[in-house]
Amino acid sequence: MKMASSSYSNPPCAACKFLRRKCLPDCVFAPYFPPEEPQKFANVHKIFGASNVSKLLNEVHPNQREDAVNSLAYEAEARMKDPVYGCVGAISVLQRQVIRLQKELDATNADLMRHACNEMANNSTLPGANPGHNENNPGFYYPSNYNPWSGGPSGDHDQGGGSSV
Amino acid sequence: MTLKGGASQACAACKYQRRKCKPDCPLAPFFPADQPEIFRNVHKLFGVSNILKILKGLHPNQKPIAMRSIIDQANMRDWYPVHGCYGLIQNLQYQIQQAKEELHAIYGQLEMYRQQNQISPVPEDVPSQLELGMAPPNGSLPLFHHTQQQYSAVAALPIPPNHCSNNGGVAGYDNSGDVVPKDNVENALWMQNQYANYSSGSTIQIAAPQPLDVQQEIVQDYDELQPFFDTIDDAQSYMDSKEACDSSSESSLKDTRQSIEHAGKNELKSAAACFSLTSVN
Repeated sequence: MKMASSSYSNPPCAACKFLRRKCLPDCVFAPYFPPEEPQKFANVHKIFGASNVSKLLNEVHPNQREDAVNSLAYEAEARMKDPVYGCVGAISVLQRQVIRLQKELDATNADLMRHACNEMANNSTLPGANPGHNENNPGFYYPSNYNPWSGGPSGDHDQGGGSSV
Repeated sequence: MTLKGGASQACAACKYQRRKCKPDCPLAPFFPADQPEIFRNVHKLFGVSNILKILKGLHPNQKPIAMRSIIDQANMRDWYPVHGCYGLIQNLQYQIQQAKEELHAIYGQLEMYRQQNQISPVPEDVPSQLELGMAPPNGSLPLFHHTQQQYSAVAALPIPPNHCSNNGGVAGYDNSGDVVPKDNVENALWMQNQYANYSSGSTIQIAAPQPLDVQQEIVQDYDELQPFFDTIDDAQSYMDSKEACDSSSESSLKDTRQSIEHAGKNELKSAAACFSLTSVN
């Protein structure tokens, strides 16, 4: 009686299972699309296509492929749930939130500096005030001056030689 | 490849595929012939058939918006082949988390100052703060209270667990341990804000090396889309990337994020600038 060789081999990855093909040992999808997560590949395949994903994975370094697959899976799921905006809508929302928080930080820092100035003025006017009294004053909390919006895109250093086809 | 009779030039999509560009070509409005690199990026990531499938089920008014987001996404993937838009989202979320932690610390200090002003009485031989032109000792700061309310509202927004360290003790801080809970009310608020922003006449511009001025003409009036967006189901949560960020890759994502912060922070900030919202007209 013949024994099925497939019973002794690794189960096919989610990609090969979806595509109904034999999962070879050198399958590019196998490390990143385990059979326990069929929906992950289904989403990626539906939005981007298996061939596009395969080409993209072959263009990045092997130790970056897992990150690439995860980002593709995220974007695919976002596009599935929102065909109009996909994950790009989230970017605009987050950008607004960053700007709002930055404004709040600036205003709050101004408040803090005003309080700190008042505290220092009170301490300096108190008779016999000891220098140790200033231990309660932690000092200024330096304002955040990071500006996320500066310049234009300079690309990823991982990008190898452009994307000319 | 030109049409007979000297008609308009084939669009970039048809030119790339080396086929005749029909007058009713669905991709022609979005891929002008003089900007082939746009279609190249989109084709590389999505493919023509997938783009058409995405557009197929959309309302005609939504198609330009969808194409704009598709083009943006493809360009981001071209600039950042590994992380694409997801890397930018993570970076923005990290910035938000940092800002919130900083705000929390500042509010703590402000509260301390306020309590000190309430507890410590002003000595009689010291000029009053009012005489000195300063705020009263127990003075309430409208700005502080206002921003405090804002902070509570901001803190209620969902934050992915990758960036937060167990809610930091902030009241109202929602951290369910998920990337973004699917049925989170705040997520619904976030969705409403998203569509409201898009419907307020603003659009995402890409400050690409070749400005996409032509794309702006394609975008229709977003005010007409407001009634449609209000009916969006709150269950449409797409920030839940639980499947995308499984535990096996979480450490690599963190390492990658650190590398992003260290080496690519400036680049991602620059890329974020590309998505800066501007108002139409």
